[in-house]
Amino acid sequence: MITVEHLRKEFTYYKKTTGIKGSLHNIFHRESLIKEAVRDISFSVEKGEMIGFLGPNGAGKTTTLKMLAGILYPTGGKIEVDGFIPWERRNEFKRRISIVMGQKNQLWWDLPASDSFYLNKCIFGVDDGSYRDIIVELSELLEVKELLNVQVRRLSLGERMKMEILAALIHRPDILFLDEPTIGLDILSQKKIREFLKIYNAQWKTTVIVTSHYMADIEALCDRAVIINQGRLVYDGKLGEVNQLLGKRKLLSVKTSCPVDMEGWRAFGMVREVSAAGAVLEVPQEKVQEVLAAILSGLQVEDFTVTEIPIEEGIARFYQKEAAEI
Amino acid sequence: MSSYRCVFLMGVEQALEYRVSFFLSMLSAAFPIIIQTAMWNYLYGHSDAAAIFGYQQGEILLYTLLATLVSQLVSTGFEWEMNGDIKMGGLNKYLIRPVGYTGYQFFRFLGQKVPRVMVIVPVMAAMIGLAFWQRMPVSAGRVLAFLVSLGLALLLNFSIFYCVGLLGFWLTDVDKLFGTISVVLTVASGGVFPLDIFGGMAEILTGLLPFGYTAQFPVNIINGRFGWARIGAGIAFQIGWIFFFACLGNVMWRRGLKRYAAVGG
Repeated sequence: MITVEHLRKEFTYYKKTTGIKGSLHNIFHRESLIKEAVRDISFSVEKGEMIGFLGPNGAGKTTTLKMLAGILYPTGGKIEVDGFIPWERRNEFKRRISIVMGQKNQLWWDLPASDSFYLNKCIFGVDDGSYRDIIVELSELLEVKELLNVQVRRLSLGERMKMEILAALIHRPDILFLDEPTIGLDILSQKKIREFLKIYNAQWKTTVIVTSHYMADIEALCDRAVIINQGRLVYDGKLGEVNQLLGKRKLLSVKTSCPVDMEGWRAFGMVREVSAAGAVLEVPQEKVQEVLAAILSGLQVEDFTVTEIPIEEGIARFYQKEAAEI
Repeated sequence: MSSYRCVFLMGVEQALEYRVSFFLSMLSAAFPIIIQTAMWNYLYGHSDAAAIFGYQQGEILLYTLLATLVSQLVSTGFEWEMNGDIKMGGLNKYLIRPVGYTGYQFFRFLGQKVPRVMVIVPVMAAMIGLAFWQRMPVSAGRVLAFLVSLGLALLLNFSIFYCVGLLGFWLTDVDKLFGTISVVLTVASGGVFPLDIFGGMAEILTGLLPFGYTAQFPVNIINGRFGWARIGAGIAFQIGWIFFFACLGNVMWRRGLKRYAAVGG
């Protein structure tokens, strides 16, 4: 459905030193600089798949998404979406895709969302019957049925985002791009939107690519995550397995009945936290049993748990690791 | 329903959404008329000559009133929005849908004009009726030519300001520029006073440049100042300038879009 090979995108911008002097200098001579937003990204997506783009600010997630949607053209590399080259922007291609940008508005601000929906119906040539069906179906799923005739400017951020998503789906696109769809929303609205996307994807087999800062979004929605940092793809696979790549390590939390000092804990492994009541240690997976046996025999243990390192942490390490290498 | 018809109707709806703003804009149209009338009345009252700059008192009043109304009718505002679209990435939503940006802006512009047209047209008709009653050379033929030139003036002003809006691709800060362009062009179009009062050179320039064709030209048809040969030539000029700005806009749009796509948005 989507193939991306060695995708690159450079932006040219001008250097300007602060102050009037810098501005005057710039009038006559501008030094242009090149920023490599996307350096070398390759991946492919199957039909009906739902994948998540994760990465820190400025990693190149949105730039990649915009190139996929045909808004930007790439500096190098190849993209094919459903047999089309996105930046040629053919109408046939536009009918198959849709994009929702969390920080941009596609609806007419002063008019009810239903007017903007109708406009999309006209633009995409959706027939009356399917239009009615989809509005009824999606507005119920998103719980915005009562709000269809309220001016967009009177809606809350969460309600507006639901309307944006609805507007993007009027023409039943085969591929849906979502750029930070839950940005700035409260937990309940985030949850609702996630649930909706999940149901929609399952029901219509729409291919979905979603970018987000929120780990929870990607965790809830996508089996597969693509982690991008500094314009490069650093991980492509199941989100739950991110940590395995960084060495299989576990967290061992131990509660003791009498306090043990830092030195005492260090004998067992890498100490992450220590308090009067116990400690959290990081140990290689294959050594968990051995370390645990030693602790149980050496200390007065009240309770213990073995957990995975949180995914966020694994990803944060990916970000740092890459930053250090580049 | 076609997309552009839908955009047009939404434009009408949007213009009606803000009632206070609508009435205020009507009021702001009335103020220049009052000031101008007072000023010219004073000038003629304190002058011995029957005609100043070659205009009788009745003629200059008719000119000023009609020119103000025509200016109001063709005035734009979408250039600000275009600039916003370019700067804030709002263009994205047009690029990903099978719809043309120019057509979209044009039909929205027309739609938003409708409530204003409904107020201005009766006032204009009353004025023309009054001029006819005052035995000014108003005829059915002139009214028809006036309406044709008015339609072309609207198209011309749209295409000029469409190009102005597209400047947003190249210029970072357009706030002052757009305001200045708007004021200068209103004067240069003869929307405030007739430019031929400056005589020779100004008159020739007005005839050659596009701006006079957005306000002064239609008014000079209805007040009988232009003969039929001049009217024919003027309409040809209008069409020529519309063609020029349409082509310019097309080139600017394509170049600008390349730039937009290159820098992101």
